[in-house]
Amino acid sequence: MNNIVRFVLDNKIVEIDFFKKQELKPTTTVLNYLRSYPEHKGVKEGCAEGDCGACTIVVAELDKNEKLVYKTLDSCLVFLPMIHGKQLITVENLAIEGTKEKILHPVQQLMVETNGSQCGYCTPGIIMSLFGLYKNHNNPSREIIEDALTGNLCRCTGYQSIIEAAQKACTVKGKDHFSEKEKDVVKMLKNIAENKESLVLSTENQKYFKPFSLEEALIIRLENPDAIIINGSTDVALRQTKKNEHFAKILDISGVEELKTFYEDKDCYVFGSGISIEQVKNFSKETLPALYKMLSVFGSLQIRNIATIGGNAGSASPIGDTLPLLFAYGAKLKLTSGAGDRVIEIEDFIKGYRQTDLGNDELIKEIIIPKTDNSTKINSFKISKRKDLDISTVSGAFKLKLEQENVSEIILAYGGMAATTKRAVNTEKFLTGKKWSKKNVEEAMNIVAEEFTPLSDARSEAEFRTIAAKNLLMKFYIEN
Amino acid sequence: MNNIIHHDSATKHVTGESVYINDMLVNNNMLLGKVVFSKHAHAKIKKIDFSEALKTKGVHAILTSVDIPGKNQMGPIVHDEFCLATDEVTFIGQAVALIAAESKEALLIAEQLIKIDYEPLEAILDIETAIAKNNLIAPPRKIERGDPETAMNKAPHIIKGELKTGGQEHWYLETQTALAVPREGKDIIIYASSQNPSETQAIVSEVLGVAKNEVEVEVKRMGGGFGGKETQGNHVAAWAALLANFTRCPVKIHLFRDDDQIMTGKRHRYFSKYEIGFDDNGKILAYKVELNADAGSSTDLSMSILERATLHADNAYFLPNVRIIGKAWKTNLPSNTAYRGFGGPQGIAVIENAIDRIAIFLKKDPAEIRYTNFYQHEKNNTTPYGETVENNRLFLMYDKIIESSEYFKRRKEIEKFNDENEFYKKGIALTPVKFGISFTTSFLNQAGALVNIYNDGTVLVNHGGTEMGQGLHTKMLQIASAELGISPDKIKVNATNTSKVPNTSPTAASSGSDINGMAVKNAIDILKSRISEVAVAEFEKLYPSDKTLKENIVFENDFIFDKQNPSNKISFEDIVKIAHFKQVSLSSTGFYKTPGIYFDREKGVGVPFFYFSFGMSVSEVMIDTLTGRHTLLRTDIIQDVGDSLNEDIDRGQIEGGFIQGVGWVTTEELKWDKKGNLLTHSPDTYKIPTVNDIPKDFRVELLKNVPNPGTIRKSKAVGEPPFMLAFSVWFAIKDAISAVGNHKIEPEFSLPATYEVILLCSEKLKKK
Ligand SMILES: Cc1cc2nc3c(=O)[nH]c(=O)nc-3n(C[C@H](O)[C@H](O)[C@H](O)COP(=O)(O)OP(=O)(O)OC[C@H]3O[C@@H](n4cnc5c(N)ncnc54)[C@H](O)[C@@H]3O)c2cc1C
Ligand code: FES
Ligand code: FES
Repeated sequence: MNNIVRFVLDNKIVEIDFFKKQELKPTTTVLNYLRSYPEHKGVKEGCAEGDCGACTIVVAELDKNEKLVYKTLDSCLVFLPMIHGKQLITVENLAIEGTKEKILHPVQQLMVETNGSQCGYCTPGIIMSLFGLYKNHNNPSREIIEDALTGNLCRCTGYQSIIEAAQKACTVKGKDHFSEKEKDVVKMLKNIAENKESLVLSTENQKYFKPFSLEEALIIRLENPDAIIINGSTDVALRQTKKNEHFAKILDISGVEELKTFYEDKDCYVFGSGISIEQVKNFSKETLPALYKMLSVFGSLQIRNIATIGGNAGSASPIGDTLPLLFAYGAKLKLTSGAGDRVIEIEDFIKGYRQTDLGNDELIKEIIIPKTDNSTKINSFKISKRKDLDISTVSGAFKLKLEQENVSEIILAYGGMAATTKRAVNTEKFLTGKKWSKKNVEEAMNIVAEEFTPLSDARSEAEFRTIAAKNLLMKFYIEN
Repeated sequence: MNNIIHHDSATKHVTGESVYINDMLVNNNMLLGKVVFSKHAHAKIKKIDFSEALKTKGVHAILTSVDIPGKNQMGPIVHDEFCLATDEVTFIGQAVALIAAESKEALLIAEQLIKIDYEPLEAILDIETAIAKNNLIAPPRKIERGDPETAMNKAPHIIKGELKTGGQEHWYLETQTALAVPREGKDIIIYASSQNPSETQAIVSEVLGVAKNEVEVEVKRMGGGFGGKETQGNHVAAWAALLANFTRCPVKIHLFRDDDQIMTGKRHRYFSKYEIGFDDNGKILAYKVELNADAGSSTDLSMSILERATLHADNAYFLPNVRIIGKAWKTNLPSNTAYRGFGGPQGIAVIENAIDRIAIFLKKDPAEIRYTNFYQHEKNNTTPYGETVENNRLFLMYDKIIESSEYFKRRKEIEKFNDENEFYKKGIALTPVKFGISFTTSFLNQAGALVNIYNDGTVLVNHGGTEMGQGLHTKMLQIASAELGISPDKIKVNATNTSKVPNTSPTAASSGSDINGMAVKNAIDILKSRISEVAVAEFEKLYPSDKTLKENIVFENDFIFDKQNPSNKISFEDIVKIAHFKQVSLSSTGFYKTPGIYFDREKGVGVPFFYFSFGMSVSEVMIDTLTGRHTLLRTDIIQDVGDSLNEDIDRGQIEGGFIQGVGWVTTEELKWDKKGNLLTHSPDTYKIPTVNDIPKDFRVELLKNVPNPGTIRKSKAVGEPPFMLAFSVWFAIKDAISAVGNHKIEPEFSLPATYEVILLCSEKLKKK
């Protein structure tokens, strides 16, 4: 049995045997693990919920061509076994010893020169986001820089100096001392990856499974229907970090490669449930612009790098941002179990507030998005208090098919307006067959307002949600 | 002066080496502390039972108010704040009990097991209710000049209105943290994240019942303060001290983010009423305003903050006849506290809105109405409280920014855009800031320093100010370097420590560099005088033919030389060694008090400010009237910092302060439920600006060639004033909303202009 978590840190393979290291448990976050060492206290906790980026680290992992890819993520949301087989890079690893003084990494040097730090508390996280940017982009545009920094809150600087540091640092195609050591790291990671046996980590009161094949995952699922499934854990981890919930059993499917495939069929796009939101975003840029638009304002890069599309569907949250779109596209899910696969309409899969039709032995395997013809228009909208790194107050994804000027098919799917993603069925009925005109849309807006009885909460009052929901219909009209 | 020195911690910040209190491990006996707080806004505590909790493995102590050896008190000015609740709680988040344990897990388990029986009482949760119940926290404040009654009656036009400005969570990245380490006897050292170490020392000595000379407080750096650690950093320090004193182990308390947001006070929300009388040109004839502050459950700094609000009710405008009333109301919420601007923003908001309304009423450009009412140079240049506005930069700045921002040209383009677009609207606004620099509590305007020169020629500077990111230590280092004429790498600025410099004032009121810089200079002047005497004697030996006078000794480039005979020189390092052999003290304290300022609270007159800081900004926004979203398209800023001590650092303060202000006026919304629970208690729902919320086009300019007489190296304070430049964003949003109704109807809305406010207000105007 494989019961040791292995990853590369500080240029060597670190092994964690939870049986021996009693102060750690499998769901100890990478943040808390790092901070338990005097030499890794650079990483900071600012919120423990993925909203501030003070805990940002970079993880390097092998891609299919055995090259290293560097990703930023929020270490406060990541459990230790999730970085098994990866290289963990922290702010302490960036500068190297020089003869007299430390030689700073270019992103560090420029942050010093542009005065990009004030109190310094956000700075280690900012540095790691800049490092991620540095490794992935050459001469990035302002948009790319902003996107890389969205997940890092800084209360002191006003960000201008940090943007400047990013612009000046990222000009040498990611070359640095990490490039030189890549070979050694690849070797270590391959060494770890040789053992394909599922990780089974048991401690006194926690059991954590991390399989590396779908088959194994389904066996564990069958035998442990009570285990909480995680993939990116961006939804689940908060229950521990914020609500102090204890997880007795975890099934971590983030190591299952079969769930990370993407392919295009004749009439549909098929996303493996384990594909990260960032990858979905990149795939959809050309092909599914409405999805791309929505994912551009989904969390932050750190979140999108680990959050999965399967997790978004699987959490069945009324404010899950892909769901209205999946409704509008008429998407299907392929569920799988030891007994075989079944395909289900997304609307049938979502059963209620955070409830799905997932069987005790099943996992979501694929998300299937049908292609649409040119006469079909699909658009999406997200309304949130702050444009970026915010949860939807109201979201909408709409599909419209016109015959001549009349509506032949319309789907109006809303998030944030009820306990689940919900279609404005009466409005759809009203508009079907009618002319797609401003006048009819204005009339339809009133029906939208009547269809929902949304909540008042921290994000907004019900009145706002109602008005915003009907206005989105007008936005759909004017943007088409 | 070497003006391009980087923040003295910059390298440590970017490598992760900078140590914050939560990174410290003093020894393996260190315990973690946790605060158990009230879940009721107002209730009687009937019983606290922690017998089960105390049995939790790893728990060392659970303390309640009965365990406090000294006074159960931590109010900074008025002693109306309990350290731990006794038989009543008066807000959600009030500390009731403290736990010390070996691990976070043990703390959480123990907390669950503590049973507190409450009997809920009626709670006051907003200013309106407090006013209705006449729940004043202290007598009102008043400033009056001329005859506002008569002038108002005679004015051709009068506008009356109300304005609500919201509170603001500080959201320092480092939550409140303290580490208390007991030492021998009653001695204790506190590593604090506090803007006011001397007061932390005072509160700790009070609750422990020990003398101040037994309590040492050290502040290396804060992970942000913004006012939130001016008094409320004392609380965690007092709690950690109690636990450390009881357990005799080091105890660290680091508040969890949500707990910090729930427990600590914020910027005061205000509910203000005003009446403004003016003529056909928009010239203000009379202004009456009542500023009502939500103080929260205890006084804290509310009255000083209210005072500054009343002293800024004029902002940049001459008000011939004026009555300013300030009232602070007691509610069942955490005690609101200092926050960058310290009441200034709340006072300024009202007059700015009144002026904006005059413009809409007269169908004129608001910038012109502002210009019309600016303080003048020779006449019409005294504030309502009688201080003369000297070195007025308003007209200079106005001309510059109108031109550099192409204000009027863009105004035209915006009008065209608004005509052509039904759902998107643009707006633009220019707003000025005049901000008074000094503590309005006059005695606080003092500072101390201790400068040590070691016999290897290196220097250690201690001063009373604290470093929270604003670059104060860097500026002190630059000042020491310039005054001693030695290179900055020979100098270190020490952590702020009450045993080095006693009885200090908080690092607040933007005065950190002004007063501490002067104190450091004073210490250095004393040392230079002593060293100069040694040098004179030395030069007499070395160059007997040239008679060197003490006043001709110059300190420059790591050397000391005679101005008359520049080749007669000796290195700083050597002269220091010689001075040491000659038994000359190489250590000196320094002291400074700001001259000539006073304020009579009773009469509402005086010269409370040493000088004024000026700034101006123009912002342009676009709003989407269908969703309430706004986009900040461009901001131009001109700020007067005198002769800048460090342009990079000053620029950082301006940009950072402005963006914090943008947060306050747009997305940062505090919401409570009907029981007084804070709904926006984490960054999930409390939204401070991200990198995407800064202006797409952001132009910051420091006003050049404007030395400030009488301050350290002719510089000006820069910490707070830029915050209020963000009003240009709020008024640009207002201008855009106003365009929905073709500028015919005054859009009435509150601050912050959240998406909800923008959407609902736009909808209202569409219907009209
Ligand atoms: C800071 C922050 C910002 C966020 N912003 C957004 C946002 O803008 N929009 C948005 O929609 N969401 C947002 N989220 C929520 C969350 O990131 C998303 O819902 C994400 O898609 C969840 O994916 P995951 O892989 O991390 O899910 P996990 O936490 O791993 O899992 C979530 C749920 O899905 C189930 N599940 C996951 N994969 C499978 C599978 N293959 N088969 C069966 N069940 C499965 C799990 O049992 C679990 O209940 C945010 C979260 C955070 C912390
Ligand atoms: S601590 Fe804030 S994102 Fe992790
Ligand atoms: S430098 Fe203080 S939060 Fe960024």
